[in-house]
Amino acid sequence: MAVCVSSTCDRDWNDQPALRKQIRPAMSATAVDLSDVSKRFDDVNAVDHVDLAIRDGEFFSLLGPSGCGKTTTLRMIAGLEFPTEGRISIFGDEMGLRPPNMRPVNTVFQSYALFPHMTVSDNVAFGLQMRRLDRREIRRRVGDALELVQLTGRERRRPNQLSGGQQQRVALARALVNEPKVLLLDEPLGALDLKLRQAMQLELKDLQTRVGITFVYVTHDQEEALTMSDRIGVMDAGRLLQVGVPEEIYERPTSPMVAEFIGDTNLLPATVKADGQIELVGGQIVGADITASPGAEIMVTLRPERLHIVDADGSFPDGHNAIDGTVARRVYLGNAVTYGILAGNVTLRVRVRNAPGQRQFDVGRRVQVHWAGDAAVLVERG
Amino acid sequence: MTGTGSTVQPRGLARRLLAANAWLVYGFFYAPILVLIALSFNENRLVGVWRGFTLDWYAQMAANTAVLRAVRSSLIVAAASTVVATVLGTAAALSLERFRFRGRRAFDALLYLPVIVPDVTMAVMLLLFFVRVADAMFVVSGAQVRLGLTTITLSHVAFNISFVAIVVRARLAGMDPTLEEAAADLYAGRWQTFRRVTLPQMTPGVLGGALLALTLSLDDVVITSFVSGPGSTTLPVYVFGLVRRGVTPLINAVSTAMLVASMALVLASVLLQRRRGPA
Repeated sequence: MAVCVSSTCDRDWNDQPALRKQIRPAMSATAVDLSDVSKRFDDVNAVDHVDLAIRDGEFFSLLGPSGCGKTTTLRMIAGLEFPTEGRISIFGDEMGLRPPNMRPVNTVFQSYALFPHMTVSDNVAFGLQMRRLDRREIRRRVGDALELVQLTGRERRRPNQLSGGQQQRVALARALVNEPKVLLLDEPLGALDLKLRQAMQLELKDLQTRVGITFVYVTHDQEEALTMSDRIGVMDAGRLLQVGVPEEIYERPTSPMVAEFIGDTNLLPATVKADGQIELVGGQIVGADITASPGAEIMVTLRPERLHIVDADGSFPDGHNAIDGTVARRVYLGNAVTYGILAGNVTLRVRVRNAPGQRQFDVGRRVQVHWAGDAAVLVERG
Repeated sequence: MTGTGSTVQPRGLARRLLAANAWLVYGFFYAPILVLIALSFNENRLVGVWRGFTLDWYAQMAANTAVLRAVRSSLIVAAASTVVATVLGTAAALSLERFRFRGRRAFDALLYLPVIVPDVTMAVMLLLFFVRVADAMFVVSGAQVRLGLTTITLSHVAFNISFVAIVVRARLAGMDPTLEEAAADLYAGRWQTFRRVTLPQMTPGVLGGALLALTLSLDDVVITSFVSGPGSTTLPVYVFGLVRRGVTPLINAVSTAMLVASMALVLASVLLQRRRGPA
């Protein structure tokens, strides 16, 4: 499948006024507003007091491990579940107990949920038929939508005659053709293989930019969320832990869970001493870019790619923190080598780029691990 | 291995034994049917001895008003009980698969009872039930309720509901529930969701259940003979009565006609489903 990059795509796009991006004021309006929303199933708090404002026109991802409540949150926006407590509004309209067919949103389901007894074009036309649009208008919009997802020519096929990627795009067209105010996507790429998934990520982001519809995207894949999102909300055990742009979530996580879930990291327990210095549990004093109140029990997160290794007697830049250790493990990854460095009672994971001239180290060698002062980020102990 | 695809082909002795077994089983199934059909064209009044070809027995059958009346009764009962049982059985299957309500488990278990209870038991209890109801009706309104086509039809409905419900439920259980959510998400109301998505999805199950009900109704002897009254004999009950008075090739002719009719029915349903395309 071709990822749409050429100018021909833009021309195609201009031929589809019904789906063309509206010129709208700067992103300010709130598309979806969740106010203190909770959902209990029997004794389980699936969603626990979530406050969230998703802006008009943004690509927002709900990210978290399975069972964290992200899908339940999405289903509550769609009207497939109703909150036990709290309120959900879409463009200022409170949804209350309004059923899914009365909401200005459409969903792309994880399993696609294409109607197996209908052709591709009947599937895409379904929502428009339910809203009793004019027959010719329906035909035109279905054609436009199928062109948008590059499925022109497959109108008369049944879903089971399509590949996974094509089914995925039918599901997308079936939702987008209704011009929803908000498009909800529940792990829509989960069933695709890696190559196709990566291509679709770019295509989805591209599509979202063009149609200008607010996307709420549920995923457990942090790379996917980082690739596509304007902002990300990280969830765990029903709670919304942190909301921010991808850089914020990755560079300045506010909790150990977020730090660990987004990318790879070293999490080291530490305490803040009376003089403001930070002492790792091993007794090592380190610097970090955020100060915390003395006596606080904290965690320090160190990304493996921000750590460097030199020989035990080697030198490193001024202002860097350093720990002595021994190379315990070495894993060759092709474009990089990851090391496990045993330092006191912790093992630090270090990622070293496999570049020409880059020094590599053997297992058992005594080394120093060093990092810039601002590479370490303090998070509260969860 | 010489087999194609990924299936493991049995070889040597095992292969020959399996083939022999298959032939034996099919022989056991179809040899009696072939004998039955062949002897329906036998000129001899004695069923077992072949004398020559004739169509006399079919002519006799067509001229026999008792046979024709029995055929008519059978068709009326089968059609009526199939329609009622299919509607009620499908409704029962839907409620058990789609809703959570008080007493659902008990209802579920009780639904299987007519399948498990022996025909004779079912026949006796239905007969007693109809007699009691008839008495009560007579006391209350003075109306006479007699055993006949109505009671036969009601009895067939009673056992067919369970079979239809079981078949339809199996189909519903295999259906992706998110399809209905997707329909609702695409602005379909409850009725539209049912008509446009749920019903087409479960149609093969409903047709299968209806076909089963039709066959069971056309076949039934035990229950029917208990709850039938004078002048309301169905074809299988009539044939059963004939056999007691001695087997003639007339019975073979009637049985062959029944066989052809039911095979035509099955063929029609297969063709119908094929034309609708794979679901």
